[in-house]
Amino acid sequence: MSESSRTGQKDLLGRELSEEEREVLDLYQRLRKLAARSDLAPCISMNAKQAMVMLWNACTDLGLIHEEAEVD
Amino acid sequence: MVEQHWPAYWNPKQETLPKEELHALQGIKLQGHVQRAWQQSPFHRRLYESAGLTPDKIKGLDDLRRLPFMTRENWMACQAEQPMFGDMLTRDVDDAIRYHLTSGTSGRQPLRVLDSRKDWAWIAEMWCYGFWGFGIRPSDRVFFAFSYGSFIGFWGAHYCCEKIGCMVLPSGNMTTEGRVKQLVEMAATVVCATPTYALRMGQVAAELGIDLAKDGKVRRLIVSGEPAVPATRKLLEEMWGAKVGDTAGMTEIGTIMIFECEQQPGGTHIIEDHFIEEVIDPETLEPVPMGGRGERIVTSFGRGFIPLIRYRTRDLVQRIPHDSCSCGRTGDIYQGGILGRVDDMKCIRGTNVYPRAVETIIREYADIEEFQILLTREAGIRDEITVQVELKPDSAESWQKLEKNLGKDLAEAHEGLRFNLSKAAEGELPRFELKAKRMQDRRGD
Repeated sequence: MSESSRTGQKDLLGRELSEEEREVLDLYQRLRKLAARSDLAPCISMNAKQAMVMLWNACTDLGLIHEEAEVD
Repeated sequence: MVEQHWPAYWNPKQETLPKEELHALQGIKLQGHVQRAWQQSPFHRRLYESAGLTPDKIKGLDDLRRLPFMTRENWMACQAEQPMFGDMLTRDVDDAIRYHLTSGTSGRQPLRVLDSRKDWAWIAEMWCYGFWGFGIRPSDRVFFAFSYGSFIGFWGAHYCCEKIGCMVLPSGNMTTEGRVKQLVEMAATVVCATPTYALRMGQVAAELGIDLAKDGKVRRLIVSGEPAVPATRKLLEEMWGAKVGDTAGMTEIGTIMIFECEQQPGGTHIIEDHFIEEVIDPETLEPVPMGGRGERIVTSFGRGFIPLIRYRTRDLVQRIPHDSCSCGRTGDIYQGGILGRVDDMKCIRGTNVYPRAVETIIREYADIEEFQILLTREAGIRDEITVQVELKPDSAESWQKLEKNLGKDLAEAHEGLRFNLSKAAEGELPRFELKAKRMQDRRGD
């Protein structure tokens, strides 16, 4: 999957994202960044990972992404 | 609590996606999945190299059949060569948060699987499609008649219910009697069990003087783990006073791939935005046309630790179009769910016998509590089929009459094949919580 379809405003089938889709994708991407960090307290890192995989599900269900986060 | 109006679908966007778009989505996912398997799993790279295939050849769903099959045999061989997990893992073992095993019902070496945090969350998510689709909502109280061991069973369903917001009632190692009492006392509205064990709970409830349909609050029974034949479902619905919803999954994918919706169309919808399901003739390996019976082949996009691409399941299915159900989902349907195993069929004196067909007939007899099918070879040449029957403790039915009628029904359904019938003592035959094993083939002993 191209970077543009993950960070842009289209889903995997090339359709425009709705407002809530943009919001959930943005949250996922922010959590993914947080989960990838190694300088955080366990209570931040582990909960960010946990939250990230839940948002991964929402984004995958909606066809916004197809990727393995690999920072879980 | 304010009652919220929820949609009928867990994922309204994808569950009603037009077929053409669904196929396009599957193609996009397939490309990425194959690419990742090639890059990160030596097992998959070897498999594809031996077929002369590189990932760039997979450009969409039309290229699916270029991919070689994965089989239980090559998975087991891979694990045997490189214990414990073989070389098909795409990530370091330390990244896993769960370890599970196949049930070992087939008597072979169990398969070992690992899941990451993300995989485990996805596993619960697939159950959400099914539970939500069958009408489970946050106000439900869900009782799990499940032992919570290394067999994956209802594990994912447990986390699905937590996610939905249901009250989860886990029963772990409780006795059947204890489970029955608790689910009534706690006013459970949903019960999850294998069809066999749901019957067993009903029998124990009756022994305790509990009428589940009147004394309990259960409105939905969600069954999994073994085929639910129509006669058994009917029996369960009467016994529990609840709708029975079929689901099916497998340890190899970690979750369910099909579920029955609230419309109860007589089959189970495929979750097609997360899986590609094919039906092939197990002998010729050619696709079976819509409506025909064959072996299901699954490609799963969710478990990242172990890519499952074109896996031969040996499950026998009959696929029919999605529009044979009125619910609006565009995922096609397996009529009757999983019908059995393609290798379940036994040939007795030239007649094909399926355990599912035998069970369907036996369940028409309300006085029968449990049964076993025994295949033997007499004098080294003549195959015999014997059905051992255990009657309900309060049965008033004459054995001679039942033996005559059941023998006649079984023979008529099997081209006149003679079935031997024997009466087992009360409590003599095995009971099952997980997958029932009611056929023993001792012809090779």
